[in-house]
Amino acid sequence: MNSVKIVAAMCLLSGGAYAVDVPIEGTVQSRCTIDTDTPGVYGNPNAYTLTTAAADGGVMPITRFDVTLADAYYAKVTHPDSFSAAPTANATVTFTGSTEVSSVGDAAMSGYEAAKTTFGNSTQFDLTESGSVWLKTTSVATNGGDKAFPSGTYRSIVVAECIAK
Amino acid sequence: MGASAHEMTPTYPEWTPSHVNGVWKTTMEMFNKRKDVEWYEIGVFDKEWEPVNFVTSYRIFSMPHLSRVKFDVYVAAPDVGKAEYICSKSKLRLLSEQKTMIASRICSRFK
Repeated sequence: MNSVKIVAAMCLLSGGAYAVDVPIEGTVQSRCTIDTDTPGVYGNPNAYTLTTAAADGGVMPITRFDVTLADAYYAKVTHPDSFSAAPTANATVTFTGSTEVSSVGDAAMSGYEAAKTTFGNSTQFDLTESGSVWLKTTSVATNGGDKAFPSGTYRSIVVAECIAK
Repeated sequence: MGASAHEMTPTYPEWTPSHVNGVWKTTMEMFNKRKDVEWYEIGVFDKEWEPVNFVTSYRIFSMPHLSRVKFDVYVAAPDVGKAEYICSKSKLRLLSEQKTMIASRICSRFK
């Protein structure tokens, strides 16, 4: 009699062997994602130059563009033409810069660098393939007359845009 | 997607009539995975990148890290044909500790 009770109790406690499906749903929409991979830092190789070049102690800002639909977006990166923050306003600073492909997620994107267009401070890439591309930007600020930059923190802004075609 | 990303969908939004006569609307969705950005600004532009009048709940709005926001954008019927792009742009804090910052802007297009 006791063994019957034990078996009955075990059946009640175990709840039986159920298999329940837990669905996971997802939709992949056409989209562009801008990922600020590396923010960038100015190096100071001499008193009158600030540069993001690695050889001069800087860090180049790197932006990653992910697109899920081929031939739907342009990536446009604009290097700075002024400081967003600096110890003193200085009109004699000259800004130069450029943007180039740092790496690509697909061999079919290997032509992006050669096909890029540049206008003013902006460089535009035609994202003809789906996937990821990493773009790195150089920014150089030179103080006029080889005068030393006053000590303090200098900031500037790189604008990364993803524009639907 | 990376650890610090800005995303807006759809790529090609469409205008639909709103509940107000003579006003059209479209619905956009954003996802903020940028830890360094909390505020975004919306803009509507024509094909020459000139601003087009529009109405939305907040032109500049707060999006905490990892949050997803859906928002409606309204334009008057005469501006429906003019509106070419709808863009979201990150707003950067001047006092951020990062010395060089990246502002991100994503523009969807009306076709």
